Amino acid sequence: LNAAPRRAPRQHIRFLPAPDGGAAGLVATRVPVLADHPLVRGPRFRQLKIGAGHRLDMKASGVFVLGIGHGNKLLTDLYNCHLTKVYTVGGLFGKATDDFSDTGKLVEKTTFDHITREKLERILAVIQGTNHKALLMHSNIDMKTQEAYELAVKGLIRPMGKSPPIITAIRCLQLALPEFQLEIHCLHETQQYLRKVIHEIGLELKSSAVCTQVRRIRDGVFTLDDALLRTQWDLQSVQKAIWDCQLKVKTEIEKTLG
Amino acid sequence: EAAAMWRPLAGVRRSPPALCRGLARPAPPGSVRQLREAEEAAPVFQYVGKAAKRKDRVFVWGFCYSGALGVPSFVKPDAGWKKPRRIQPTPYRLETEEKISSAACGYGFTLLASRTTDITKVWGMGLNKDSQLGFQRSRRDRTKGYEYVLEPSPIPLPLEKPQQTRVLQVSCGRAHSLVLTDSEGVFTMGNNSYGQCGRKVVEDETYSESYLIHQLKEFDSRVVQVVCGQDHSLFRTQKGTVYACGWGADGQTGLGHYNITSVPTKLRGDIAGVNIIQVSSYGDCCLAVSDEGDIFGWGNSEYLQLACVTETTQVNVPRHLPFKIGKIKEAACGGTGNVVLTEEGNVFVWGYGILGKGPNLIETAMPEMIPPSLFGWSDFNPDVRVAHVRCGLSQFAALTNRGELFVWGKNLRGCLGTGRLEDQYFPWRVTVPGEVVDVACGVDHMVSMVKSFI
Repeated sequence: LNAAPRRAPRQHIRFLPAPDGGAAGLVATRVPVLADHPLVRGPRFRQLKIGAGHRLDMKASGVFVLGIGHGNKLLTDLYNCHLTKVYTVGGLFGKATDDFSDTGKLVEKTTFDHITREKLERILAVIQGTNHKALLMHSNIDMKTQEAYELAVKGLIRPMGKSPPIITAIRCLQLALPEFQLEIHCLHETQQYLRKVIHEIGLELKSSAVCTQVRRIRDGVFTLDDALLRTQWDLQSVQKAIWDCQLKVKTEIEKTLG
Repeated sequence: EAAAMWRPLAGVRRSPPALCRGLARPAPPGSVRQLREAEEAAPVFQYVGKAAKRKDRVFVWGFCYSGALGVPSFVKPDAGWKKPRRIQPTPYRLETEEKISSAACGYGFTLLASRTTDITKVWGMGLNKDSQLGFQRSRRDRTKGYEYVLEPSPIPLPLEKPQQTRVLQVSCGRAHSLVLTDSEGVFTMGNNSYGQCGRKVVEDETYSESYLIHQLKEFDSRVVQVVCGQDHSLFRTQKGTVYACGWGADGQTGLGHYNITSVPTKLRGDIAGVNIIQVSSYGDCCLAVSDEGDIFGWGNSEYLQLACVTETTQVNVPRHLPFKIGKIKEAACGGTGNVVLTEEGNVFVWGYGILGKGPNLIETAMPEMIPPSLFGWSDFNPDVRVAHVRCGLSQFAALTNRGELFVWGKNLRGCLGTGRLEDQYFPWRVTVPGEVVDVACGVDHMVSMVKSFI
């Protein structure tokens, strides 16, 4: 980064003695400011301020947003937008562990052959319904106003402050007993909460379930396509990624925060 | 030296004193293979088998002191720590002996009916001052009856073949109730001061503690639906004709006059010759839906329920309501507002009161659609549709095809079941632990029939 070409040094006008000495006295010449000289300034970047967006814990994977320099302020704005995140959560029926994931200590084993896709979808519909109710209740809008009615019709009611984890949408991507995969759209959640949701789905189906995989596929405006792989962690890719997403972030912040 | 001093402590593993209760031991650190073998050897529990049936449950909520919820401990607590509960704001499970197939809420009382062939087919609870729940013999004094019935008590029907006849449907009005059977006609009980029970009005009759249950059999074909308005009764037969009896001062009997009718009489007007597939009434206005999707109305129109065809406030002959909203599948009448469901699954409301489109819509004569996004429809769930609509006196209920119950309207004594006591101006989900199959709305309480998830 420091090897990249720098900004040209500032120029200022100094009155120097004329080069041919004596006759004209002082001549106004434009010379570069000595304070901008690379040897005086030193390397342009000695440290970088990097901030992290929404947390992603050790057992989960997926899109993780980082902000560099000015991006940290944009990160705070994005956080205040309260946009939903989308996760792909994989689960396994038949086991229950103490930390809700498949690496934990076994608590109980149950049968799961009675589970069908229809029953799972029924449970997911109920989860979505109760979370939709929680969404409306935590948004701190008075339900008796016409404005609340109009926002509810458009589906734009969202908690714009602190709230417990809320799932805005959940659906089953595949079910191949004992494994299943869900897509969850949520707000203000933690990955452990999603594992707990999987465990509770297992309990509701009169069986038990553990979470095998949590993968964030979308965080606000950033999707998997924008994400950089481990092999792409170099300067050019990072610069290109920042350049590509600038417009998206700006429009989203303007739209939500006005 | 120094190393020798520390060596004895190297092998000892101690858990911190705070976690150690002296009984539990930490899990022995086995290898991965040992853990896996221990897991495989663990016993497997079975909570429900493959052919498990979904259980049928009944949930009640609303005003408790009338006894209409059927839970005696709400009114007379049976344990020292329990306090009398005036309102049950969220759904409460009611234990019943049989599967309840039909329920109806009246003005302060409830009827539950089952399709069983046992002797006891109908249970009633709540107010019984006009014997709308039949004669409930008091245990303290065997000559007197109960005025308030606090738990579901069997109603003895004078059936000819009690072990073969099945009860199809029940309906409750202000102070009378109707029980529809499959082969023995309709049984009516309760107040008959306006002839709503289908028998001749007797001057100065005392209706409380009465044994009289009247049987109605003279219709042109089998009766398939009975509906109670506030003080009148409607009967719909298999041929698609509608009969009415009871009070007619608002024209709710639809017989062309404003007098009392004490014998069920066939309705004419715009529904003569039309095959009616559903009738609905709760207050003083009535609606009927034909098999072609047309809707007819008669009765009270003070709240603009029938204002699209006439300016008069009482309509005593069924009139066709020319709404251009599509083919109508189901209609429900409330005290001041009406709601219909079309074939596409859209819900339309009109009338007066809290109609469900925010606090600004108080009255309208033409039907207004409630946006489907309020019932859970979205791009993520495009196949959510409203399957049934029901009406109480000043509240509305809608059931979706996913088994969710949405309510809106005036929250009289907690009858909406939302957990709050405020009125609800747009459809709000009621959290019921199960898939709601049917709901019956009353004045200040509601009963729902629910199937468990698994």
